[in-house]
Amino acid sequence: MKEQFTPKIVGFLCNWCSYAGADLAGAAKLEIMPSITVIRVMCSSRIDPNLVLTTLLLGADGILIAGCHPGDCHYDKGNYYARRRFALLKKVIETLKIDPERLQLSWVSASEGKRYAEVVNQFTEKIKKLGPNPIQNTPYL
Amino acid sequence: MNNSDILIIGAGVAGIEASLLLADTGKKVYLVEKTSLTGGNVIKYEDVFSNMECSTCMIAPKQQEVLQSENIELLTLSTVEKVQGEIGDFTVTINKKARYVSLVDCIGCGMCYDPCPVSLKNEFEQNLSEKKAIYVPCPGSLPNVPAINPKHCLQLNGKKTCNACVEACAFGAINLSDKDEKIEIKVGAIIVASGFDIVDPAGFPQFGYGKYPNVYTAMEAERLYASNGPTEGEITLRKGDAPPKSIAIIQCVGREQQGYCSSVCCMYSLKLAHYLKHKLPEAKIHNFHSDWCMPGKYYQKFHHDVKEEGVDFIYSPVDKIKVDGNDKGLSIEYYNGKNEKEKLSADMVILSLAMMQGKDTASLSKLLGIEQDKKGFFMNQGIQLGAVDTSKPGIFLAGCAEGPKDIQGSITQAEAVVGKVMSYLS
Amino acid sequence: MSDKIGVYVCECGPNIADKVDIKKILAEISALNEPPEKIIIAKKHKLLCSKEGQDFLADEITKNELTHLVIAACSPRDHDITFMNVCKRTDLNPYLYKLVNIREHCAWIIPDKDEATEKAIQYIRAGISRVTYQAPLTEKELDSIPDVLVIGAGIAGIEASLSLAGENRKVYLVEKTSSIGGKVTKFEKILPHQGTDLDIIQEKIQAVQENENIEIFTETEVEKAIGFFGNFEITLKNIHNDEQKNEFKVGAIVVATGFNLFNPGKIPRYGYGKMEDIYTSMEIEESNFKTGKILLKSGNPPKSAALIHCVGREEKGYCSRVCCNYMFKIAQYLKEKIPTIKITEFYQDLCLPNKADQKFFVDTKNKGVDFIRFKDIAVKQKEKEKFIEYTKIDGKKEKISAEMIILAPAIEPADGSKGMAELLNISLDETGFFQEAHQKLNPVATSIDGVFIVGSAQNPKNIPDSMMDAQAVAGKILTQLIPGEKLIPEVIISEISEAFCTGCQTCLSVCSYGAIYFDEDKNISIVNEAICRGCGNCVASCPSGAAHSKHFTSLQIYQEVLEAIR
Repeated sequence: MKEQFTPKIVGFLCNWCSYAGADLAGAAKLEIMPSITVIRVMCSSRIDPNLVLTTLLLGADGILIAGCHPGDCHYDKGNYYARRRFALLKKVIETLKIDPERLQLSWVSASEGKRYAEVVNQFTEKIKKLGPNPIQNTPYL
Repeated sequence: MNNSDILIIGAGVAGIEASLLLADTGKKVYLVEKTSLTGGNVIKYEDVFSNMECSTCMIAPKQQEVLQSENIELLTLSTVEKVQGEIGDFTVTINKKARYVSLVDCIGCGMCYDPCPVSLKNEFEQNLSEKKAIYVPCPGSLPNVPAINPKHCLQLNGKKTCNACVEACAFGAINLSDKDEKIEIKVGAIIVASGFDIVDPAGFPQFGYGKYPNVYTAMEAERLYASNGPTEGEITLRKGDAPPKSIAIIQCVGREQQGYCSSVCCMYSLKLAHYLKHKLPEAKIHNFHSDWCMPGKYYQKFHHDVKEEGVDFIYSPVDKIKVDGNDKGLSIEYYNGKNEKEKLSADMVILSLAMMQGKDTASLSKLLGIEQDKKGFFMNQGIQLGAVDTSKPGIFLAGCAEGPKDIQGSITQAEAVVGKVMSYLS
Repeated sequence: MSDKIGVYVCECGPNIADKVDIKKILAEISALNEPPEKIIIAKKHKLLCSKEGQDFLADEITKNELTHLVIAACSPRDHDITFMNVCKRTDLNPYLYKLVNIREHCAWIIPDKDEATEKAIQYIRAGISRVTYQAPLTEKELDSIPDVLVIGAGIAGIEASLSLAGENRKVYLVEKTSSIGGKVTKFEKILPHQGTDLDIIQEKIQAVQENENIEIFTETEVEKAIGFFGNFEITLKNIHNDEQKNEFKVGAIVVATGFNLFNPGKIPRYGYGKMEDIYTSMEIEESNFKTGKILLKSGNPPKSAALIHCVGREEKGYCSRVCCNYMFKIAQYLKEKIPTIKITEFYQDLCLPNKADQKFFVDTKNKGVDFIRFKDIAVKQKEKEKFIEYTKIDGKKEKISAEMIILAPAIEPADGSKGMAELLNISLDETGFFQEAHQKLNPVATSIDGVFIVGSAQNPKNIPDSMMDAQAVAGKILTQLIPGEKLIPEVIISEISEAFCTGCQTCLSVCSYGAIYFDEDKNISIVNEAICRGCGNCVASCPSGAAHSKHFTSLQIYQEVLEAIR
């Protein structure tokens, strides 16, 4: 019996751009797959790599970090730091034998409601194809 | 009598900036705006030059602050009708048109749009799309509350009984018996931040605007590119399906006639070229220019970068450019640097039009008792008294109402006006 | 002491009520009730943001003595402040509440009612867990000093001083040279159409000297400027005598250090410094101001002059904005003093950004000045005669002789800008000018609160615009630094735990606002509450977890994560 895999995706959205874009998507009543649970932070630079790793190790199937486009960060350069941390995180995740594609960083501006919906839906489809997070079956934790 | 309340005419970036600074000191600010939304012209752009920052992301926090400020009374759909008095003691009559939708009860859910049977051209979208008689100008408008156009609403213009929107609203926020109001306020100072308009492209028949469907104004091109615009950012043409393969941007339209350089068109033309290159990487983009006006530390680099992207810059005096059209497309006839006649085909032509004074400048200046300068903008009294004063003490200017300038210039001037107002009123 | 959490689900008319099963939500949330430690009161309301809804909430908070509040409704970007204000009406601290978005992020985007209901429950549970980890926060009030330090007594500095000084606000105006007024004092005329009159400038210089609320220090530099907005400690030093110092406190600092001209000697093809009678615009202005005449080295008036614009424009990578206009002015000087002179102006682009500039250009042309647009240009000499060799835009190469050559070099930031930036902890941008806080929306501020930049120190500009910058700074300072009023900094800021800080200073290096300082004695980093904006960058960068955010702690976010993956 093949069960429909409903991924659990955690989305960290920055308050000024991506959360606003998500709100706009909502106001336009765009259909967004319910796998994602949105967590609001003030800036994408708040996202601690530890938190992302913990989230992954606890069994999240996918993690989406969304922030302002480069140059638009409300706090000047925060999103550049988020980008660097994200790049490093991808490498760390590989060492855990988890597919780094489960982690995605996307820039969404406050006027990009449609884009937000597309990003989330495409990411959800990708995670569906990747299947459940293998960490749930790993005993070493 | 020294009233320290302030009236600001125009809720564009300059008006918003001045209102927030003054409201922070506890002063009461009346922010009067003739349209139904805040943000002025800047809110029509997807990005701003030259850092190409998202325009909405940039000013939405400020618009929200205005809406949430206890000291700012925002009066939309409002115009100034009468002004009496003098500095420290002005009495102003404001004509507040009915919105027919309660700003308090409406939660912005948008359920009222679909049922409305009337469609009309949406001037915010440069008439590239339609809106209903009950409308917000664009997604993300702030305040996020629709207004009803009484001329087109069937119920309001008496053509037919219609309560479609009222019935669709679950919050009882629509009141078709709403009436225009006259409000009298007393203020100590007035800031005119009423912005600008663009010269009418019909005044330049040689460019074929209106005659050939695929000749656009720069503002139309902005809305086409906007992700919250009529085509959600897709560059479509009025005639023909495919996105354009070659685009000509003609700069300096109206410069000679107006007698001044509008100082921002070179930059926004580069911005448009950059947008289009980004959206249609295979397209050929040509900017027809004469002088490049890119003053200051940031702008020339943008010019350099856009050139590197593969945009073609063609030197050609604008008074020698003509646009012709046929079934196959558009043809631009121009004279190059060697004064030789040349022709270029394009699918789309965009006109970078000069900035001119706002349409209400003449009537507002009469009302306020202040002067217009030779170019039609409100006249500032020159640096002797500071370039924000008008001929009437207590009435100040901020932003493009005073003359063409970029956003940085408008904000600086708005802040300078605040400085002046604070000095005068204390 | 038990938690009494009020959970209120807003129907938002049909927007939420039609899309989720509120009855089911209330039932499941009520089931979380665990007396006596955790008491949950779950109710619904038609429209919580309405006046009636807000009164209902205030009543519920007080009546039930709630310790925490969770509202399930629309986006915090819509009504966070609305509900915080409701809390402020009661005894409940406004930071012990959470607005959960079940509208934009749930009801409006999930068409299946069951799925939407499950999602709403998930979000509300996350909100309840999170809110119990939230701590009460209060606004702080800081004393501030309304006085201002203005660095540079050119026209921008003078205008700033005059706009700011008052009975309750002292201005300290510091100038490194021996006189005040800056470069504008060296011009015979100032562009008339831009509204500036030389008399007015002289009046302003006199006014600043006579103003008893402005203290002027000439031949002085700033040695130290430590502190933050509202509270800077300043040390001034006499440039000739290290021992002569002045110390005082100010609330804000205005940098008005002006500009220099690019040295055209760096571009050999202009012949500057190698051939005779090649001058920069400033040299012409200065000698003209001293003598009232413009003469060759020989002492004779020139019969012909070539005025070359855009010198160094390509090398510097920017247009200096003011040169076209002042070159027209210089051409008009020459025509007035030497009516038979032949003048040719060479330019790449004409930069005429002000309303009256184009007319000034036409006037200058009508006075008999020739204008040539060039692609390339060089100054050559054959025996005693100088030639301008140029390529026009039609490709033709031509040459013209000129007895006097006047160059308009690019405008550069003043000497010592780098040192000044380091002193004040502000940045220089790529071009070397001081960097504004935001290119479009905040041109006279910097990323350091309380430090402002005006005039050509920020971006090359003319006199009226420099004065406008100065007035803009006055607008900012007069509204934000009010004598006798306290400053209220951001509440949701970062904090560094002394116990866990290892003194690595990583947090310091990532902060865009200089809000973290290092305590050398304790060897730890400390967040300055007056400056921190609460982005959380330092929190994420801290390797020991010592830095934490006050309202976005890792534990709080963790609660939301736990619900997300349950």
